[in-house]
Amino acid sequence: MNAVTSTLDARRAKAAENFRASGVPHRRVEAWKYSDLRAVVGANDVEQAGPAKWSVDAPAGVELFDLASGNAPDWVQQRLGSIGAGAMQSASFGFARSGFALRVPRDATGTVRANWLSDGQARVLIVLEDNASLTLVESADAFAGFRNIGMEVFLANGAQLAQIALSPESSDAVAVTEIAARLSRSAVYRAHFANFGAKLSRTELAVALDGEGAEAHLSGVSVLGAGHADVTTHVDHATGNTRSTQLFKNIAGGHSRAVYQGKVTVRPGANGADSRQTAKGLLLGNRAEIDLKPELEILADDVKCAHGAAVGDLDMESLFYLRSRGIPEAEARALLMRAFLGDAIDEIENEEIRATVWLAVEDALSRAADGAP
Amino acid sequence: MLEIENLHANVGGKEILKGLTLNVGAGEVHAIMGPNGSGKSTLSYVLAGRAGYEVTQGTIRYKGEDLTALAPEARAAKGIFLAMQYPVEIPGVTTLTFLKTALNAQRRARGEKEVDALTVLKRVREKAAALNIPEEMLKRALNVGFSGGEKKRLEILQMALFEPSLAILDETDSGLDIDALKLVAEGVNALRAPGRAMLVITHYQRLLDHIVPDRVHVLSAGRIVKEGGKELAHELEARGYEQIVRAPA
Repeated sequence: MNAVTSTLDARRAKAAENFRASGVPHRRVEAWKYSDLRAVVGANDVEQAGPAKWSVDAPAGVELFDLASGNAPDWVQQRLGSIGAGAMQSASFGFARSGFALRVPRDATGTVRANWLSDGQARVLIVLEDNASLTLVESADAFAGFRNIGMEVFLANGAQLAQIALSPESSDAVAVTEIAARLSRSAVYRAHFANFGAKLSRTELAVALDGEGAEAHLSGVSVLGAGHADVTTHVDHATGNTRSTQLFKNIAGGHSRAVYQGKVTVRPGANGADSRQTAKGLLLGNRAEIDLKPELEILADDVKCAHGAAVGDLDMESLFYLRSRGIPEAEARALLMRAFLGDAIDEIENEEIRATVWLAVEDALSRAADGAP
Repeated sequence: MLEIENLHANVGGKEILKGLTLNVGAGEVHAIMGPNGSGKSTLSYVLAGRAGYEVTQGTIRYKGEDLTALAPEARAAKGIFLAMQYPVEIPGVTTLTFLKTALNAQRRARGEKEVDALTVLKRVREKAAALNIPEEMLKRALNVGFSGGEKKRLEILQMALFEPSLAILDETDSGLDIDALKLVAEGVNALRAPGRAMLVITHYQRLLDHIVPDRVHVLSAGRIVKEGGKELAHELEARGYEQIVRAPA
């Protein structure tokens, strides 16, 4: 027992070292060029951030372990801190003893609701055994200060995870979430991120499609009237016959900035990989900014990869059409904005969760429109 | 009902309408014919209040009220409807939702009670059936993936649903085969009513075989250069715009 615990300690020490070696990411680090974290958070803030408070509602049949308690079970000891080596993810493991681990046993199904209650740092471990399935709905209370969450996801053969993360507007918050996911054969990972703006928010997602037939479907909406929201993804087709789709829609009004960076790598020999990536932006007014950067790195021969990105204004012809039918301008604009976001939100399969996201989007849309020119 | 007097309008700083005068009475159907570039579409957009179509001189009176300062939605609420030459595709907005939103927005603006979803659906179904519009189309995104004929039929369905007192049909015949044209014309004819004026804008006479106008006006270089009865349309078709436009009115 001691030997294994000290393995975790050793990993923790290594993670802390990792963070200290690279420091807080800044805009001269390519992956952070649109989001200068160092400008808003110092290394001391990161090392001394307390534990982030959370609440988790897990049904019977889904194992929940509080990472602050001792005697971690084997399934935690084996995996915790084993993937995700980015600076911030390292910090979330190296300095925080907060967070939770979830395990869904083979063939079991469950829905878990998690809520972040405060600033601080935390680690999350999610383990789905063969053919297990989990819907994870993450929400957060608005907060001020710095929060850093590092998440590790392990999906065994045929496992299915649907993750929906809602981040409310928190104008005085710096919120970083870094997720690393490993998918075995025929595992499916669906993730949707709804961001409504913070002083700086960064969601980073690295998905490794390690087994044949594995699929990742990533989507999200950022609707900003103020603040900054960055979604950065990296999908690694490590094996052949893997699929990934990405659909991200951004609306930026007022003095806000939305960022999407998405990299797709297809490894040598990963033939039959199929990847689609779409990112779109809608700018309301000239003080807002949207940066979209899709990127493809293809090292195999027989693959299907497509990507597209476009930023525009509301279509004036559509707006006139709706108004000429009697729909007042503000209502017509809102209708077009909802239509713009629609297909990304439709990626959420659960109807009830989709409705929750729509409600949050409605609020955010009026703020984004108010914040325009 | 509609009185246009010495109308001048610019698009992108260029004068397109150059002193257009036109009167359409209640219950009348008038045709505006003219070659490409004569200002037909500009006239329809100016009447509907599209941004970028700037009235520099003259007046447009509708039921005695000056329209020029009104927003497009305010004109719609007053009963002006433009069936567009190129109806816009709007992904993400289902046709039925759009119809209900528009109908109720107009009613709200007029201080009338809104109509509930079921009643809207019933009315839309009725009118769709008459225009041979399958119900499945109403569940799809507005105009997305519709054929040219389907888009035009949907414009007429809107006209039937909104019951405007002034309908402007901009090149409603363009892109229609003869069967679709007949169907659309029947839909329009069914809406002819004593309280409703119509302005049918077209390049070709063939639409006017099916929607027979009370008056025909020839538009050229931004002005009405000739007027006549329905026989003028045939004359134009037989002799071409060149001759008619050059001949003294």
